[in-house]
Amino acid sequence: MEEITEIKNITADPYAYCRKYKDETGKKIVGYTCSYTPEELIYAAGALPFRIFGTNQDIRLADANLQSYCCSLVRGILEEALSNRLDFIDGVIFPHTCDSIQRLSDIWRINVKQKFHIDFVLPVKLNTASARQYLFDILEKLKNDLERALSVQITDATLADAVKTYNQIRALMKKLYALRVQRPAIISGRDFHSIIKAAMMMDRKIFLKTIEKIVTQIETSDRKVISGDKRLVLAGSVCSHPEIYDIIEQAGGIVVGDDLCTGSRYFEGVMDENVSPMEAIARRYLNRPVCPAKHNGLTNRGENIIRIVRESKADGVVFLLLKFCDPHAFDYPDIKAMLDKENIPCMLLDMEEQLPAEAQLQTRFETFIQIL
Amino acid sequence: MKTAGIDIGSITAKAAIFDSGKLVATKVIFTGYNAEAAGLRVYEEVLKETGFDKNNVVKIVSTGYGRSSVKFADKSYTEIMCHAAGAHFLNQHIRSIIDIGGQDSKAILLDDNGKVKNFVMNDKCAAGTGRFLEVMARALEVNLDEFGAMSIKSKQPSRISSLCTVFAESEVISLIAKGEQRQDIIAGIHESIAARISSMIGRVGIKEPVMITGGVARNVGVVHALEKKLGMKIEVSPYAQVNGAIGAAILAASL
Amino acid sequence: MKKKILEFLKLILIFSFGKVKKFTLRFKKTKTMKDMMIVYYSEAKAAPLTGKKVAWITSGGPVEPLIAMDIIPVYPENHGAMIGAAKMGGGLCEKAEAMGYSSDLCSYARSDISCATVNGGPIGGLPKPDMLICCNNICGTVLKWYEVQARYFNVPLFILDTPICHTQYTPEIARYVRSQFDEYFAFLESACQKKLNYDRLNEVLLRSFQTQVLWQEILDTTRSKPSPMTAFDAFFHMALIVTLRGTPEVVDYYTELLKTMKDRAARGIGAVPNEKYRLLWDNIPIWHRMRWLSKEFASHNACLVADTYTSAWCGTLKYVKGDNPIDSMAEVYTRIYLNIGVDEMAKMVIEMIDKYEVDGLVLHSNRSCKPYSFGQLDIQKIVERERGLPCLMIESDMVDERSFSEGQISTRIDAFMEIIKERKEKSKK
Repeated sequence: MEEITEIKNITADPYAYCRKYKDETGKKIVGYTCSYTPEELIYAAGALPFRIFGTNQDIRLADANLQSYCCSLVRGILEEALSNRLDFIDGVIFPHTCDSIQRLSDIWRINVKQKFHIDFVLPVKLNTASARQYLFDILEKLKNDLERALSVQITDATLADAVKTYNQIRALMKKLYALRVQRPAIISGRDFHSIIKAAMMMDRKIFLKTIEKIVTQIETSDRKVISGDKRLVLAGSVCSHPEIYDIIEQAGGIVVGDDLCTGSRYFEGVMDENVSPMEAIARRYLNRPVCPAKHNGLTNRGENIIRIVRESKADGVVFLLLKFCDPHAFDYPDIKAMLDKENIPCMLLDMEEQLPAEAQLQTRFETFIQIL
Repeated sequence: MKTAGIDIGSITAKAAIFDSGKLVATKVIFTGYNAEAAGLRVYEEVLKETGFDKNNVVKIVSTGYGRSSVKFADKSYTEIMCHAAGAHFLNQHIRSIIDIGGQDSKAILLDDNGKVKNFVMNDKCAAGTGRFLEVMARALEVNLDEFGAMSIKSKQPSRISSLCTVFAESEVISLIAKGEQRQDIIAGIHESIAARISSMIGRVGIKEPVMITGGVARNVGVVHALEKKLGMKIEVSPYAQVNGAIGAAILAASL
Repeated sequence: MKKKILEFLKLILIFSFGKVKKFTLRFKKTKTMKDMMIVYYSEAKAAPLTGKKVAWITSGGPVEPLIAMDIIPVYPENHGAMIGAAKMGGGLCEKAEAMGYSSDLCSYARSDISCATVNGGPIGGLPKPDMLICCNNICGTVLKWYEVQARYFNVPLFILDTPICHTQYTPEIARYVRSQFDEYFAFLESACQKKLNYDRLNEVLLRSFQTQVLWQEILDTTRSKPSPMTAFDAFFHMALIVTLRGTPEVVDYYTELLKTMKDRAARGIGAVPNEKYRLLWDNIPIWHRMRWLSKEFASHNACLVADTYTSAWCGTLKYVKGDNPIDSMAEVYTRIYLNIGVDEMAKMVIEMIDKYEVDGLVLHSNRSCKPYSFGQLDIQKIVERERGLPCLMIESDMVDERSFSEGQISTRIDAFMEIIKERKEKSKK
């Protein structure tokens, strides 16, 4: 599909895309590190929200500021920043995620020159009235900070447009997810991964048009898809390894759903267009599927994963556990127990930014899929 | 029906021939740097022992790290599936398998039909593998073959707490300097590897009876330390090193 | 049935023992730390008999309302330190790993989670909580740890969310935390089915502030040369300000201790017999190697005169304002040392370097504590740049004794001290 090829070209070199975007449009780019960033505000401010991920280069510079017992996502982000590869970014927003990101923000602020640095310290609790009020307060503050940093006015009109656009994008992504459940392998896992990556870095209006085309083409296509493969759900934080999908597919499996930060957690949650845009945005971030670094009850995440497994008719769950990621590692045993109770088989895969040897991955996936 | 199983590991390549459900022959050679050539050679050598012709062998299954380079195999299965099949063949009551190789270790849980129910692997860290024992034996200037037997002699194993093989080595050296008894240190080393394995097993659970396979199964000290740590008897596979190839040959029969 | 009777008898034994101990302490002029800890833990463990409620609370959490409600506060982190000191950390962490908890997680959490299932550790496990109070001013790990325990024990969990002040304490944060204190009081009232006596709370708060003032004065006695105590002594004596802050017994204890230290300082009695070099310690202590570290540094005539950890329990006194102590609680509990930006932490380190006239900085790079350890490399750079002091980094873990390489660390300490000695010689000339 032409659109998918276009997306793959863009995501193959995100930094080149960004530089070209700046040259062509003269617009600003705001980097962010976590899906709890209310990027609708960045969009409303007329800037491009760009999600910063780790590095596929060796960690050399970051070692001077971060010890080895830090996850490779955080070390990688710092490596990219210190290497000046992110110099096209006009400023950065650090939402509060976990202890590592929290310190990364300080270390970045101290060591990296940039035009502006905003800390958006979200509440860790999402289920109380005072937390909701606080989120609302800091969202207002973020709006003011962005206006100042980008020298723009964020009006109700631009906010309403942001809400509408993001709702449309998310609705189409949900449709894509549903299509994948019905006809897995309609697009390869690798292509799916590229689409998600594009959603976090492309001009959002262009991405909307592109994803619209993709979904329409898939819906109207009558391509037959063999699905004797075992259906898997991926669970974890950030998956920056499209090779995983290849290995799964070679081993006789197919990914039909996910509970990932670079996945369903980014797309779930519709904003109410009948209330004020700021209110709608705040509500979405309070109610979207919870990340382990946030608290919205004691068993929400496990229940959400079970729901995803049932809805996507999956045979098993693969946990992609990033080494040194504390919130996910704490969640794992109790969620596994919940899955065991529901007779849903699962496997744990320790991950780092640098993937383990392909042979090791193949062995694990082949065996797991055989067991299912 | 004659079948063959070929297990290409990073150090050794193993082959097994089955005839109508009976084990006929096994062979072990060094893999070297050419896995494909090793696969061919070990297969030819094991055939020579049986006197069978290549054409007699109906199905071949390959396994191990180099399984995809055995181009003449009919199918490849992971070593977890094959170890399970091999252990089940030797004793159908076995419900848990501990496999400690030169460079990795695994724990496999079987269901009542001898099929793999769950598994966990340690292939990132040397501690908990044969490599750990090699490094320590060298540090203590003991023959690896006698290492296990010496550990059992100790009445008071030393405590070696380091998580990392490299640090454990320097810990052992300082114990030697402090004048601790050699066999106590050796026993401590064996307890250390048993602790790592036990921790790994905890993640997948253990059910008796338990069988140990892999090259390190021959080390009586490790078996002894594991039995102590787990509080259960462990059956040592008489075909520990070739268990994977045996399992592969068995799985070949159901193809 | 038999098990229940045995458990009950055990409780009666602990209860009686605690009561007897408490009684005999009336006649003792100076109560030791051990005395006080025995009474404290006996009362906590015998709570099912006395009907008192037990709350588990994080080390940075506001304990004053618990004291005011007659709830017994229990600190799993203090227990973690005891586990480390008893060298039982490795074993308990191993058990947690077998339960499925990654070996890279905080060792306080790992040992507590496994300890709860086997009643392990040096005192046979902690008494079961009736409620959990989690304040995340120290880290995000406690949130996950307490979620696990809330599911395990099936008891109510209260989270006091204190957003991090990277560069400032904003009005939004102040509003949010202050309203949560009202939620906290309501939570306790609901858990205990009785009203909170605000006069009593004010009384406890004032006593808590008084204790913090005493603690600061004790820590300041180390400004004397030679220092009457070391950081290792402070690590020992801190247990009370962490666990029983707000009680009159703790005020008495620290009043005595201050007298002792002032007396030693006046008579020139140093904790390290031949104190030549003065050092600052950063991060949580290596609980399982205190004696060894103490000896190592003493053998170089070096005294760890101050540290950033113990001073955290009196560091926010400056935010106590006005006549209403309750209103100050929000700022006091939010702006602690670990809940501010790395550059702010570096400023405080330099203040301490100047105040205690220190020759070098020892940083414990603690695998278990990311908020405390990440940023140390930048703090080290800042200290080297601003004060030109030699810095030593020791990589270990606070409770898991498996993460300690004695040979390596001993060599590093020797090399560090050589540098300090040479600098001192040079500066004399």
